[in-house]
Amino acid sequence: MDSGTISGIVTVVFILVFIGIVWWAYSKGNKQRFEDAGKLPFGEDDAPTKQGDKQ
Amino acid sequence: MEATTYNYKVVRQFAIMTVVWGIVGMLVGVTLATQLIWPELTYGIEWLSYGRLRPLHTNAVIFAFGGSGLFAVSYYIVQRTCQVRLWAEKLAAFTFWGWMAVIVLAAVTLPLGYTSTKEYAELEWPIDILITLVWVAYALVFFGTIAKRKTKHIYVSNWFFGAYILTIAILHIVNNLELPVTLTKSYSLYAGVQDAMVQWWYGHNAVGFFLTTAFLGMMYYFIPKQAGRPIYSYRLSVVHFWSLNFIYMWAGPHHLQYTALPDWAQSLGMVFSLMLLAPSWGGMMNGIMTLSGAWHKLRTDPILKFLVTALSFYGMSTFEGPMMAIKTVNALSHYTEWTVGHVHSGALGWVAMITIGSMYYLIPRLYGRESMYSTKMIEWHFWLSTIGVVLYIASMWIAGVAQGLMWRAANADGTLTYSFAQVLNTMYPFYGIRLLGGVLFFSGMLMMAWNVWKTVRIGRVVNDAAIPQAVHA
Repeated sequence: MDSGTISGIVTVVFILVFIGIVWWAYSKGNKQRFEDAGKLPFGEDDAPTKQGDKQ
Repeated sequence: MEATTYNYKVVRQFAIMTVVWGIVGMLVGVTLATQLIWPELTYGIEWLSYGRLRPLHTNAVIFAFGGSGLFAVSYYIVQRTCQVRLWAEKLAAFTFWGWMAVIVLAAVTLPLGYTSTKEYAELEWPIDILITLVWVAYALVFFGTIAKRKTKHIYVSNWFFGAYILTIAILHIVNNLELPVTLTKSYSLYAGVQDAMVQWWYGHNAVGFFLTTAFLGMMYYFIPKQAGRPIYSYRLSVVHFWSLNFIYMWAGPHHLQYTALPDWAQSLGMVFSLMLLAPSWGGMMNGIMTLSGAWHKLRTDPILKFLVTALSFYGMSTFEGPMMAIKTVNALSHYTEWTVGHVHSGALGWVAMITIGSMYYLIPRLYGRESMYSTKMIEWHFWLSTIGVVLYIASMWIAGVAQGLMWRAANADGTLTYSFAQVLNTMYPFYGIRLLGGVLFFSGMLMMAWNVWKTVRIGRVVNDAAIPQAVHA
């Protein structure tokens, strides 16, 4: 197998992996899951703590 | 018993040292810029010569300033988005003291002239071993904390931090495989073009994973927090994560265009660099669009200004980078000041500004305060930094293009039109403007130090902050 063929196969595999990732990220089944994950920084109150260890 | 508080102590230590090392590293940078105009500045003292201070500058700003910033935010974000206290806190304390020891050792050995000569990996083998130990401890603490998380999902910032920690471990070990001869001298295991390729596979991925991926983790947390709304598209951030990391790994050969590296490898480096534009801009848009509907906040909030301007410089330098990787452009730009300008567009515009913005968010919280001592001073800092970066990169663009054109200019008989000294002479005004830009950026850091000092004085040290008991899935 010459290097051109290998390059071709690798390129096709890479594109398929990429399409797979996009499909996975944007599939309907994962919508809720990613929306929940996006809210993680807001899942808690991070107001500055008033009780410091020392003045 | 389960911990009910977060560990803020190690976060605070790293956050303060971020400011300290930022000032030290940038002061060395300003010194170097001055030496380029007045070479006799340091009276020929060898320890302060340009060649010895230059690696000190790069190591200090990348690994001491940037590194401390990343330790601080990754420890903060991983705790807050996993809603658990750090795992193995003694190890976390070791990462702080170990990393500081690495920095001090670097600050001693580099001016003394101990170097492995690999750019951004100059430190000699005993320090390399210490870095490896600290890094393994860092990985254990970080992934250990993720493993015991109370939340269902792993927030995207943590994915970016995870990729950075893993990749830097691999890069550091592979590039620093060396044969020690004495305690202070070693030789690389690789030779010739293989050595060059390993070095730039490391070098570019240090940019890709240390200076990009990790700081994107910072961006994905602090921009939503400061803007008060979730990231524009979490799904885009997932695609961003995988495609950016996948493509970055192959872009290194663009540092070796027109060298002894096989032609196909050079082209591969160029093509992957061009492809990088897509995920880079995808991530930038994602961050900026987070502000849609909240644009008015930009007018009044200097922290948000820092974060969003950082993203703009990120967009600029990730457009410029792929362009410079094109072989024909590279033939002009390589080895010129243009490269220096490009690096600082990324390092000052992106890395430093996103770090500074994040520290202004973080530091008051670590000292039990609502905000920094002076918001007005943050505003001043913002404008000083922005004008400083613009002066820096614009002068280096002009200098670099002029330099490239003058170097390649040839007379009809094939001789060079300009001598090296003539080209150097043309650089002086631009070196002056660059110095001015650097001094402005540096003075902004001094204002930050003052502001942080005042904030610390009126605040209270928060070693432990409460973990919310209700788990939000």
